[in-house]
Amino acid sequence: MKLISLLDHLAATPASSSAAPRRDVLAQLGRAAVAALPLALGALPAAAATQDSTLDAVLQLLQLERLQAALYTQGLAATGLIPAAQTADFQRLLSHQSQHIAFLTQTVQGAGSTVPTAPTFDFSGRRNAAANPELFPAVFTNYDNFLALAQQIEDLGVRLYQNHVFNIVSDFRLVRAVLRMQSVEAQHSAHVRGLRRSRGATVSNWPSDKDTVIARPAAAQALTAAATGGEANVLQPVSVSTTLPSASIFLVRDNTAVQDAALAEAFDEPISTAVAQAALNLFF
Amino acid sequence: MSDQSHLPAWREQSLGRRLFLQVSAASAASAALVVAGCSSSTPTPAADTNQIALPQGNKGLLYYAYLLALAKSTTYQKVVDSPPGDLPAAERAIFADMRDHEVVHRETLKYLIDPTRATALFPADFAFSLTRFTLTSRAGVLAAALQLEDLAAAAYPVILPFFNSTNAYARALLLKMSTVLARHAATVRDLLTPGSFANGTVVDASGQLITKTPTEVLTALAPFWTPYVLSITCPDTSPSSDPGLCTANG
Repeated sequence: MKLISLLDHLAATPASSSAAPRRDVLAQLGRAAVAALPLALGALPAAAATQDSTLDAVLQLLQLERLQAALYTQGLAATGLIPAAQTADFQRLLSHQSQHIAFLTQTVQGAGSTVPTAPTFDFSGRRNAAANPELFPAVFTNYDNFLALAQQIEDLGVRLYQNHVFNIVSDFRLVRAVLRMQSVEAQHSAHVRGLRRSRGATVSNWPSDKDTVIARPAAAQALTAAATGGEANVLQPVSVSTTLPSASIFLVRDNTAVQDAALAEAFDEPISTAVAQAALNLFF
Repeated sequence: MSDQSHLPAWREQSLGRRLFLQVSAASAASAALVVAGCSSSTPTPAADTNQIALPQGNKGLLYYAYLLALAKSTTYQKVVDSPPGDLPAAERAIFADMRDHEVVHRETLKYLIDPTRATALFPADFAFSLTRFTLTSRAGVLAAALQLEDLAAAAYPVILPFFNSTNAYARALLLKMSTVLARHAATVRDLLTPGSFANGTVVDASGQLITKTPTEVLTALAPFWTPYVLSITCPDTSPSSDPGLCTANG
Protein backbone atom coordinates (compact mmCIF):
# COMPACT_ATOMS: atom_id res chain seq x y z
CA MET A 1 0.00 0.00 0.00
CA LYS A 2 1.46 3.28 -1.13
CA LEU A 3 0.16 5.31 1.78
CA ILE A 4 1.57 2.99 4.36
CA SER A 5 4.87 2.88 2.52
CA LEU A 6 4.97 6.65 2.63
CA LEU A 7 4.33 6.58 6.37
CA ASP A 8 7.09 4.10 6.82
CA HIS A 9 9.43 6.20 4.76
CA LEU A 10 8.63 9.20 6.91
CA ALA A 11 9.11 7.16 10.03
CA ALA A 12 12.56 6.14 8.84
CA THR A 13 13.56 9.71 8.07
CA PRO A 14 15.80 11.15 10.77
CA ALA A 15 14.03 13.83 12.75
CA SER A 16 15.50 17.29 12.31
CA SER A 17 15.39 18.34 15.95
CA SER A 18 13.41 15.94 18.10
CA ALA A 19 10.97 13.13 17.60
CA ALA A 20 7.98 15.32 18.35
CA PRO A 21 7.45 17.03 14.98
CA ARG A 22 7.84 13.75 13.14
CA ARG A 23 5.35 12.04 15.36
CA ASP A 24 2.96 14.93 14.89
CA VAL A 25 3.11 14.42 11.17
CA LEU A 26 2.68 10.72 11.54
CA ALA A 27 -0.31 11.13 13.81
CA GLN A 28 -2.06 13.35 11.29
CA LEU A 29 -1.16 11.09 8.42
CA GLY A 30 -2.36 8.14 10.40
CA ARG A 31 -5.77 9.70 10.58
CA ALA A 32 -5.72 10.39 6.85
CA ALA A 33 -4.53 6.91 6.05
CA VAL A 34 -7.41 5.30 7.92
CA ALA A 35 -9.93 7.47 6.13
CA ALA A 36 -8.37 6.71 2.78
CA LEU A 37 -8.52 2.95 3.02
CA PRO A 38 -12.18 1.93 2.94
CA LEU A 39 -11.46 -1.07 0.77
CA ALA A 40 -8.85 -2.44 3.11
CA LEU A 41 -11.15 -1.87 6.06
CA GLY A 42 -13.97 -3.66 4.33
CA ALA A 43 -11.88 -6.79 4.13
CA LEU A 44 -11.20 -6.94 7.85
CA PRO A 45 -13.09 -8.62 10.67
CA ALA A 46 -15.99 -6.45 11.80
CA ALA A 47 -14.66 -6.10 15.34
CA ALA A 48 -11.46 -4.54 14.07
CA ALA A 49 -12.99 -2.32 11.43
CA THR A 50 -13.42 0.90 13.35
CA GLN A 51 -12.59 4.39 12.21
CA ASP A 52 -10.36 5.26 15.13
CA SER A 53 -7.16 7.09 14.46
CA THR A 54 -4.04 6.33 16.43
CA LEU A 55 -4.67 9.41 18.55
CA ASP A 56 -8.30 8.48 19.26
CA ALA A 57 -7.16 5.02 20.31
CA VAL A 58 -4.44 6.26 22.64
CA LEU A 59 -6.73 8.84 24.26
CA GLN A 60 -9.40 6.26 25.03
CA LEU A 61 -6.82 3.90 26.50
CA LEU A 62 -5.54 6.81 28.61
CA GLN A 63 -9.04 7.40 29.95
CA LEU A 64 -9.36 3.71 30.81
CA GLU A 65 -6.03 3.69 32.64
CA ARG A 66 -6.97 6.81 34.58
CA LEU A 67 -10.21 5.15 35.64
CA GLN A 68 -8.36 2.04 36.83
CA ALA A 69 -5.75 4.08 38.68
CA ALA A 70 -8.47 6.10 40.41
CA LEU A 71 -10.26 2.91 41.49
CA TYR A 72 -7.14 1.50 43.11
CA THR A 73 -6.06 4.84 44.58
CA GLN A 74 -9.42 5.24 46.30
CA GLY A 75 -9.53 1.58 47.27
CA LEU A 76 -6.11 1.69 48.90
CA ALA A 77 -7.10 4.90 50.73
CA ALA A 78 -10.32 3.38 52.13
CA THR A 79 -9.68 2.26 55.71
CA GLY A 80 -10.38 -1.40 56.32
CA LEU A 81 -11.35 -2.21 52.74
CA ILE A 82 -8.41 -4.21 51.36
CA PRO A 83 -7.07 -6.97 53.65
CA ALA A 84 -3.46 -6.41 54.71
CA ALA A 85 -2.35 -9.58 52.90
CA GLN A 86 -3.55 -8.15 49.60
CA THR A 87 -2.46 -4.53 49.95
CA ALA A 88 0.70 -5.25 47.97
CA ASP A 89 -1.38 -6.74 45.14
CA PHE A 90 -3.33 -3.54 44.70
CA GLN A 91 -0.25 -1.40 45.07
CA ARG A 92 1.18 -3.35 42.14
CA LEU A 93 -2.02 -2.88 40.13
CA LEU A 94 -1.96 0.86 40.83
CA SER A 95 1.72 1.03 39.99
CA HIS A 96 1.18 -0.58 36.57
CA GLN A 97 -1.79 1.66 35.77
CA SER A 98 0.22 4.74 36.73
CA GLN A 99 3.08 3.57 34.49
CA HIS A 100 0.65 3.06 31.63
CA ILE A 101 -0.74 6.57 32.18
CA ALA A 102 2.77 8.00 32.05
CA PHE A 103 3.55 6.10 28.84
CA LEU A 104 0.32 7.03 27.07
CA THR A 105 0.63 10.67 28.19
CA GLN A 106 4.15 10.82 26.76
CA THR A 107 2.88 9.27 23.55
CA VAL A 108 0.15 11.89 23.13
CA GLN A 109 2.46 14.77 24.00
CA GLY A 110 5.18 13.36 21.77
CA ALA A 111 2.70 13.53 18.89
CA GLY A 112 2.27 17.25 19.55
CA SER A 113 -1.21 16.80 20.97
CA THR A 114 -2.61 17.98 24.28
CA VAL A 115 -3.57 15.55 27.01
CA PRO A 116 -7.11 16.25 28.22
CA THR A 117 -7.68 17.00 31.90
CA ALA A 118 -8.60 13.90 33.88
CA PRO A 119 -12.25 13.82 34.97
CA THR A 120 -13.27 13.38 38.60
CA PHE A 121 -14.20 9.73 38.75
CA ASP A 122 -17.22 8.66 40.77
CA PHE A 123 -17.44 4.90 41.39
CA SER A 124 -20.95 5.03 42.85
CA GLY A 125 -22.42 5.40 39.37
CA ARG A 126 -24.00 8.73 40.36
CA ARG A 127 -21.76 10.55 37.91
CA ASN A 128 -20.84 13.21 40.45
CA ALA A 129 -24.48 14.23 41.03
CA ALA A 130 -26.03 13.21 44.33
CA ALA A 131 -29.51 13.15 42.84
CA ASN A 132 -28.61 10.33 40.45
CA PRO A 133 -29.30 6.74 41.52
CA GLU A 134 -26.45 4.73 42.98
CA LEU A 135 -25.48 1.98 40.53
CA PHE A 136 -22.50 0.49 42.37
CA PRO A 137 -23.18 0.43 46.12
CA ALA A 138 -20.54 0.22 48.85
CA VAL A 139 -17.60 -0.09 46.47
CA PHE A 140 -15.18 1.29 49.07
CA THR A 141 -16.71 -0.27 52.18
CA ASN A 142 -17.46 -3.81 50.97
CA TYR A 143 -14.43 -5.72 49.65
CA ASP A 144 -16.50 -8.10 47.54
CA ASN A 145 -18.23 -5.18 45.84
CA PHE A 146 -14.85 -3.56 45.25
CA LEU A 147 -13.44 -6.74 43.72
CA ALA A 148 -16.47 -7.24 41.49
CA LEU A 149 -16.12 -3.73 40.08
CA ALA A 150 -12.37 -4.17 39.69
CA GLN A 151 -12.92 -7.40 37.75
CA GLN A 152 -15.36 -5.79 35.35
CA ILE A 153 -13.13 -2.78 34.75
CA GLU A 154 -10.07 -4.98 34.19
CA ASP A 155 -11.99 -7.17 31.75
CA LEU A 156 -13.17 -4.03 29.98
CA GLY A 157 -9.55 -2.96 29.76
CA VAL A 158 -8.33 -6.17 28.14
CA ARG A 159 -11.09 -6.01 25.57
CA LEU A 160 -10.57 -2.33 24.80
CA TYR A 161 -6.84 -2.85 24.25
CA GLN A 162 -7.74 -5.65 21.82
CA ASN A 163 -9.97 -3.27 19.92
CA HIS A 164 -7.28 -0.64 19.56
CA VAL A 165 -4.07 -2.60 18.96
CA PHE A 166 -4.37 -2.58 15.21
CA ASN A 167 -6.02 0.84 15.03
CA ILE A 168 -2.54 2.16 15.63
CA VAL A 169 -0.99 2.84 12.28
CA SER A 170 2.52 3.77 11.30
CA ASP A 171 4.12 3.27 14.69
CA PHE A 172 5.46 -0.24 15.11
CA ARG A 173 6.93 0.41 18.55
CA LEU A 174 3.66 1.78 19.85
CA VAL A 175 1.80 -1.30 18.61
CA ARG A 176 4.18 -3.53 20.49
CA ALA A 177 3.96 -1.42 23.65
CA VAL A 178 0.17 -1.59 23.52
CA LEU A 179 0.36 -5.38 23.13
CA ARG A 180 2.66 -5.59 26.13
CA MET A 181 0.35 -3.42 28.26
CA GLN A 182 -2.62 -5.47 27.11
CA SER A 183 -0.95 -8.63 28.42
CA VAL A 184 -0.41 -6.96 31.79
CA GLU A 185 -4.10 -5.98 31.90
CA ALA A 186 -4.99 -9.62 31.27
CA GLN A 187 -2.78 -10.70 34.17
CA HIS A 188 -4.55 -8.14 36.36
CA SER A 189 -7.94 -9.48 35.40
CA ALA A 190 -6.90 -13.07 36.05
CA HIS A 191 -5.60 -12.11 39.48
CA VAL A 192 -8.68 -10.16 40.55
CA ARG A 193 -10.84 -13.04 39.37
CA GLY A 194 -8.73 -15.40 41.45
CA LEU A 195 -9.15 -13.17 44.51
CA ARG A 196 -12.91 -13.30 44.07
CA ARG A 197 -12.84 -17.09 43.75
CA SER A 198 -10.79 -17.34 46.96
CA ARG A 199 -13.65 -15.47 48.67
CA GLY A 200 -16.30 -17.88 47.46
CA ALA A 201 -17.41 -16.42 44.14
CA THR A 202 -17.99 -18.83 41.26
CA VAL A 203 -15.59 -17.33 38.77
CA SER A 204 -12.73 -18.50 36.56
CA ASN A 205 -9.49 -16.65 35.86
CA TRP A 206 -10.87 -16.00 32.36
CA PRO A 207 -14.34 -14.97 31.22
CA SER A 208 -16.44 -18.14 31.21
CA ASP A 209 -20.02 -19.25 30.82
CA LYS A 210 -19.46 -21.11 34.09
CA ASP A 211 -19.02 -17.80 35.97
CA THR A 212 -21.85 -16.46 38.10
CA VAL A 213 -22.98 -13.22 36.47
CA ILE A 214 -22.26 -10.07 38.51
CA ALA A 215 -25.69 -8.57 39.22
CA ARG A 216 -26.08 -4.96 38.10
CA PRO A 217 -29.11 -2.67 37.77
CA ALA A 218 -30.44 -1.96 34.29
CA ALA A 219 -28.77 1.45 34.22
CA ALA A 220 -25.36 -0.20 34.73
CA GLN A 221 -25.69 -2.83 32.01
CA ALA A 222 -23.29 -0.82 29.85
CA LEU A 223 -20.53 -1.98 32.17
CA THR A 224 -21.57 -5.63 31.98
CA ALA A 225 -21.73 -5.38 28.20
CA ALA A 226 -18.23 -3.90 28.07
CA ALA A 227 -16.76 -6.37 30.57
CA THR A 228 -18.11 -9.68 29.32
CA GLY A 229 -20.76 -9.07 26.64
CA GLY A 230 -20.12 -11.38 23.69
CA GLU A 231 -17.57 -13.49 25.54
CA ALA A 232 -19.74 -16.55 24.92
CA ASN A 233 -18.99 -16.27 21.21
CA VAL A 234 -18.01 -19.60 19.68
CA LEU A 235 -17.98 -18.51 16.05
CA GLN A 236 -14.48 -17.38 15.22
CA PRO A 237 -14.10 -15.87 11.73
CA VAL A 238 -11.33 -17.34 9.60
CA SER A 239 -12.29 -15.51 6.42
CA VAL A 240 -14.82 -12.95 5.29
CA SER A 241 -17.50 -15.62 4.96
CA THR A 242 -16.46 -18.59 7.10
CA THR A 243 -15.88 -19.40 10.74
CA LEU A 244 -13.66 -21.96 12.36
CA PRO A 245 -15.31 -25.36 11.64
CA SER A 246 -15.31 -26.43 15.27
CA ALA A 247 -17.58 -29.40 14.73
CA SER A 248 -15.00 -31.08 12.51
CA ILE A 249 -11.93 -30.03 14.51
CA PHE A 250 -12.73 -30.85 18.13
CA LEU A 251 -13.43 -34.57 18.20
CA VAL A 252 -13.44 -37.25 20.88
CA ARG A 253 -11.93 -39.60 18.30
CA ASP A 254 -8.81 -37.45 18.03
CA ASN A 255 -8.65 -36.52 21.72
CA THR A 256 -9.31 -32.95 20.66
CA ALA A 257 -12.74 -32.75 22.29
CA VAL A 258 -13.12 -29.96 24.84
CA GLN A 259 -15.68 -28.89 27.44
CA ASP A 260 -18.53 -26.82 26.04
CA ALA A 261 -17.35 -23.65 27.77
CA ALA A 262 -13.75 -23.98 26.62
CA LEU A 263 -14.25 -22.95 23.02
CA ALA A 264 -15.43 -19.49 24.10
CA GLU A 265 -12.97 -19.27 27.01
CA ALA A 266 -10.01 -19.86 24.71
CA PHE A 267 -10.58 -16.49 22.99
CA ASP A 268 -11.00 -13.10 24.62
CA GLU A 269 -13.33 -10.90 22.58
CA PRO A 270 -12.62 -7.28 21.68
CA ILE A 271 -15.25 -4.61 22.27
CA SER A 272 -15.97 -1.63 20.11
CA THR A 273 -14.94 1.91 20.96
CA ALA A 274 -18.59 2.83 21.50
CA VAL A 275 -19.38 -0.06 23.83
CA ALA A 276 -16.31 0.75 25.90
CA GLN A 277 -17.09 4.45 26.03
CA ALA A 278 -20.65 3.82 27.21
CA ALA A 279 -19.19 1.95 30.18
CA LEU A 280 -16.45 4.50 30.89
CA ASN A 281 -19.10 7.25 30.89
CA LEU A 282 -20.80 5.64 33.91
CA PHE A 283 -17.95 6.86 36.11
CA PHE A 284 -17.77 10.61 35.46
CA MET B 1 -5.68 -0.13 9.68
CA SER B 2 -2.22 -1.23 10.50
CA ASP B 3 -0.51 -2.96 7.65
CA GLN B 4 2.93 -4.37 8.08
CA SER B 5 3.10 -5.72 4.55
CA HIS B 6 5.62 -3.04 3.73
CA LEU B 7 8.21 -4.90 5.72
CA PRO B 8 10.07 -6.47 2.84
CA ALA B 9 11.18 -9.70 4.44
CA TRP B 10 7.75 -10.44 5.82
CA ARG B 11 5.73 -9.99 2.70
CA GLU B 12 3.77 -13.18 2.53
CA GLN B 13 5.30 -15.48 0.03
CA SER B 14 3.40 -17.68 -2.32
CA LEU B 15 3.82 -20.89 -0.45
CA GLY B 16 1.09 -22.59 -2.41
CA ARG B 17 1.01 -26.25 -1.66
CA ARG B 18 4.67 -26.41 -0.91
CA LEU B 19 5.83 -28.79 1.75
CA PHE B 20 5.23 -27.39 5.17
CA LEU B 21 8.12 -29.30 6.48
CA GLN B 22 11.32 -27.92 5.15
CA VAL B 23 14.75 -29.24 5.49
CA SER B 24 16.79 -26.55 7.02
CA ALA B 25 19.31 -24.38 5.37
CA ALA B 26 21.09 -24.10 8.64
CA SER B 27 24.53 -25.53 8.49
CA ALA B 28 25.64 -25.46 12.11
CA ALA B 29 24.81 -29.04 12.83
CA SER B 30 26.48 -29.06 16.20
CA ALA B 31 24.36 -26.30 17.67
CA ALA B 32 21.45 -27.27 19.84
CA LEU B 33 19.42 -24.58 18.16
CA VAL B 34 20.15 -23.01 14.88
CA VAL B 35 18.79 -19.62 14.06
CA ALA B 36 19.28 -18.60 10.53
CA GLY B 37 19.91 -15.03 11.58
CA CYS B 38 18.58 -11.72 10.46
CA SER B 39 19.75 -11.89 6.90
CA SER B 40 18.30 -13.72 4.00
CA SER B 41 20.37 -16.60 2.81
CA THR B 42 19.96 -19.00 -0.01
CA PRO B 43 18.71 -22.35 1.28
CA THR B 44 21.07 -25.20 0.70
CA PRO B 45 20.29 -28.87 1.08
CA ALA B 46 20.79 -30.05 4.62
CA ALA B 47 22.59 -33.16 5.54
CA ASP B 48 20.73 -33.66 8.82
CA THR B 49 17.07 -34.53 8.45
CA ASN B 50 16.47 -33.70 12.10
CA GLN B 51 16.85 -30.02 11.24
CA ILE B 52 13.46 -28.37 10.82
CA ALA B 53 13.28 -24.83 9.51
CA LEU B 54 9.94 -23.17 10.03
CA PRO B 55 8.52 -21.57 6.88
CA GLN B 56 9.28 -17.92 6.30
CA GLY B 57 6.65 -15.22 6.66
CA ASN B 58 3.39 -15.34 8.54
CA LYS B 59 3.04 -19.09 8.09
CA GLY B 60 6.22 -19.62 10.09
CA LEU B 61 4.76 -17.55 12.92
CA LEU B 62 1.68 -19.78 12.93
CA TYR B 63 3.96 -22.81 13.20
CA TYR B 64 5.76 -21.12 16.07
CA ALA B 65 2.50 -20.44 17.92
CA TYR B 66 1.42 -24.00 17.17
CA LEU B 67 4.58 -25.33 18.83
CA LEU B 68 3.81 -23.37 22.00
CA ALA B 69 0.26 -24.72 22.10
CA LEU B 70 1.56 -28.24 21.41
CA ALA B 71 4.01 -27.99 24.31
CA LYS B 72 1.35 -26.86 26.76
CA SER B 73 -1.43 -29.14 25.57
CA THR B 74 0.91 -32.14 25.82
CA THR B 75 1.93 -31.17 29.35
CA TYR B 76 -1.58 -30.45 30.59
CA GLN B 77 -2.99 -33.59 28.99
CA LYS B 78 -0.56 -35.57 31.12
CA VAL B 79 -1.60 -33.62 34.25
CA VAL B 80 -5.26 -34.28 33.51
CA ASP B 81 -4.69 -37.96 32.76
CA SER B 82 -2.39 -38.62 35.74
CA PRO B 83 -2.80 -35.80 38.26
CA PRO B 84 -0.36 -35.81 41.15
CA GLY B 85 -1.94 -36.88 44.42
CA ASP B 86 -1.23 -33.56 46.09
CA LEU B 87 -2.91 -31.47 43.38
CA PRO B 88 -6.26 -30.36 44.88
CA ALA B 89 -9.47 -30.89 42.94
CA ALA B 90 -9.95 -27.16 42.37
CA GLU B 91 -6.52 -26.93 40.77
CA ARG B 92 -7.13 -30.06 38.70
CA ALA B 93 -10.16 -28.27 37.30
CA ILE B 94 -8.00 -25.30 36.38
CA PHE B 95 -5.59 -27.58 34.53
CA ALA B 96 -8.51 -29.29 32.78
CA ASP B 97 -9.67 -25.87 31.58
CA MET B 98 -6.18 -24.86 30.48
CA ARG B 99 -5.72 -28.19 28.68
CA ASP B 100 -8.91 -27.45 26.76
CA HIS B 101 -7.84 -23.90 25.88
CA GLU B 102 -4.51 -25.17 24.61
CA VAL B 103 -6.16 -27.87 22.52
CA VAL B 104 -8.45 -25.22 21.03
CA HIS B 105 -5.47 -22.99 20.26
CA ARG B 106 -3.40 -25.84 18.85
CA GLU B 107 -6.14 -27.12 16.55
CA THR B 108 -7.12 -23.60 15.51
CA LEU B 109 -3.51 -22.86 14.56
CA LYS B 110 -3.31 -26.16 12.71
CA TYR B 111 -6.39 -25.14 10.77
CA LEU B 112 -4.96 -21.71 10.01
CA ILE B 113 -1.77 -23.30 8.70
CA ASP B 114 -3.63 -25.78 6.51
CA PRO B 115 -7.46 -25.64 6.35
CA THR B 116 -7.54 -29.00 4.59
CA ARG B 117 -5.62 -30.50 7.50
CA ALA B 118 -4.36 -33.06 5.01
CA THR B 119 -0.66 -32.52 5.55
CA ALA B 120 1.25 -33.51 8.64
CA LEU B 121 2.95 -30.41 10.02
CA PHE B 122 5.85 -32.33 11.53
CA PRO B 123 7.33 -35.86 11.30
CA ALA B 124 5.21 -38.59 12.83
CA ASP B 125 7.53 -39.03 15.80
CA PHE B 126 7.88 -35.30 16.48
CA ALA B 127 6.68 -34.66 20.04
CA PHE B 128 7.12 -32.49 23.09
CA SER B 129 9.06 -34.56 25.60
CA LEU B 130 7.89 -34.47 29.21
CA THR B 131 10.90 -36.27 30.66
CA ARG B 132 12.49 -33.03 31.85
CA PHE B 133 9.46 -32.19 33.99
CA THR B 134 8.43 -33.71 37.30
CA LEU B 135 4.71 -34.06 36.78
CA THR B 136 4.22 -36.38 39.76
CA SER B 137 3.98 -33.58 42.32
CA ARG B 138 2.00 -30.35 42.54
CA ALA B 139 5.21 -28.35 42.80
CA GLY B 140 6.60 -30.03 39.69
CA VAL B 141 3.40 -29.48 37.72
CA LEU B 142 3.26 -25.79 38.65
CA ALA B 143 6.95 -25.29 37.86
CA ALA B 144 6.48 -26.83 34.42
CA ALA B 145 3.34 -24.80 33.77
CA LEU B 146 5.01 -21.59 34.93
CA GLN B 147 7.91 -22.06 32.54
CA LEU B 148 5.64 -22.73 29.57
CA GLU B 149 3.04 -20.06 30.31
CA ASP B 150 5.60 -17.33 30.92
CA LEU B 151 7.29 -18.24 27.62
CA ALA B 152 4.06 -18.22 25.62
CA ALA B 153 2.80 -14.98 27.16
CA ALA B 154 6.15 -13.36 26.38
CA ALA B 155 6.14 -14.67 22.80
CA TYR B 156 2.89 -13.29 21.42
CA PRO B 157 3.45 -9.50 21.70
CA VAL B 158 6.58 -9.94 19.58
CA ILE B 159 5.01 -11.84 16.70
CA LEU B 160 1.57 -10.22 16.44
CA PRO B 161 2.73 -7.00 14.73
CA PHE B 162 4.31 -9.05 11.96
CA PHE B 163 1.02 -10.41 10.68
CA ASN B 164 0.13 -8.46 7.56
CA SER B 165 -3.33 -7.46 6.41
CA THR B 166 -3.53 -10.51 4.17
CA ASN B 167 -3.62 -12.50 7.38
CA ALA B 168 -5.96 -10.20 9.32
CA TYR B 169 -8.23 -13.06 10.39
CA ALA B 170 -5.37 -15.15 11.71
CA ARG B 171 -3.97 -12.06 13.42
CA ALA B 172 -7.33 -11.34 15.07
CA LEU B 173 -7.52 -14.89 16.41
CA LEU B 174 -3.96 -14.82 17.74
CA LEU B 175 -4.70 -11.50 19.41
CA LYS B 176 -7.70 -13.06 21.16
CA MET B 177 -5.53 -15.99 22.24
CA SER B 178 -2.68 -13.79 23.49
CA THR B 179 -4.58 -12.39 26.46
CA VAL B 180 -5.87 -15.82 27.43
CA LEU B 181 -2.25 -16.93 27.59
CA ALA B 182 -1.45 -13.95 29.81
CA ARG B 183 -4.36 -15.01 32.03
CA HIS B 184 -2.89 -18.52 32.21
CA ALA B 185 0.49 -17.13 33.22
CA ALA B 186 -1.00 -15.02 36.02
CA THR B 187 -3.14 -17.96 37.18
CA VAL B 188 -0.21 -20.35 37.42
CA ARG B 189 1.97 -17.69 39.06
CA ASP B 190 -0.68 -17.11 41.73
CA LEU B 191 -1.10 -20.86 42.31
CA LEU B 192 2.62 -21.24 42.84
CA THR B 193 3.03 -18.10 44.96
CA PRO B 194 -0.12 -16.10 45.79
CA GLY B 195 0.29 -12.51 44.62
CA SER B 196 3.13 -13.25 42.19
CA PHE B 197 1.01 -12.36 39.14
CA ALA B 198 2.58 -9.76 36.87
CA ASN B 199 5.48 -9.23 39.24
CA GLY B 200 8.89 -7.79 38.46
CA THR B 201 10.05 -11.09 36.95
CA VAL B 202 7.69 -10.72 34.01
CA VAL B 203 6.76 -7.00 33.92
CA ASP B 204 9.23 -4.14 33.49
CA ALA B 205 9.35 -0.73 35.18
CA SER B 206 7.06 0.71 32.50
CA GLY B 207 4.29 -1.69 33.43
CA GLN B 208 4.82 -3.63 30.21
CA LEU B 209 5.22 -7.36 29.87
CA ILE B 210 8.82 -8.42 29.29
CA THR B 211 8.82 -10.17 25.94
CA LYS B 212 10.96 -12.86 24.40
CA THR B 213 12.01 -13.26 20.80
CA PRO B 214 11.37 -16.46 18.85
CA THR B 215 15.08 -17.16 19.17
CA GLU B 216 14.92 -16.95 22.96
CA VAL B 217 11.76 -19.03 23.16
CA LEU B 218 12.98 -21.74 20.80
CA THR B 219 16.27 -21.89 22.66
CA ALA B 220 14.46 -22.42 25.95
CA LEU B 221 12.33 -25.16 24.42
CA ALA B 222 15.07 -26.78 22.33
CA PRO B 223 15.80 -29.65 24.76
CA PHE B 224 12.15 -30.72 24.68
CA TRP B 225 12.06 -31.47 20.94
CA THR B 226 15.06 -33.79 20.83
CA PRO B 227 16.22 -35.17 18.43
CA TYR B 228 14.67 -32.47 16.25
CA VAL B 229 16.27 -29.05 15.98
CA LEU B 230 14.02 -26.13 15.09
CA SER B 231 14.98 -22.87 13.50
CA ILE B 232 13.12 -19.74 12.50
CA THR B 233 14.33 -17.01 10.19
CA CYS B 234 14.34 -13.43 11.39
CA PRO B 235 13.19 -10.76 8.98
CA ASP B 236 15.43 -7.97 7.86
CA THR B 237 15.38 -5.13 10.32
CA SER B 238 16.34 -2.31 8.03
CA PRO B 239 13.53 0.23 8.71
CA SER B 240 14.49 2.24 11.77
CA SER B 241 10.88 2.27 12.93
CA ASP B 242 10.76 -1.52 12.92
CA PRO B 243 12.31 -3.11 16.00
CA GLY B 244 12.30 -6.42 14.21
CA LEU B 245 11.14 -9.87 15.11
CA CYS B 246 14.42 -10.67 16.76
CA THR B 247 14.29 -7.68 19.08
CA ALA B 248 12.32 -8.02 22.28
CA ASN B 249 10.92 -5.22 24.41
CA GLY B 250 11.55 -2.70 21.61
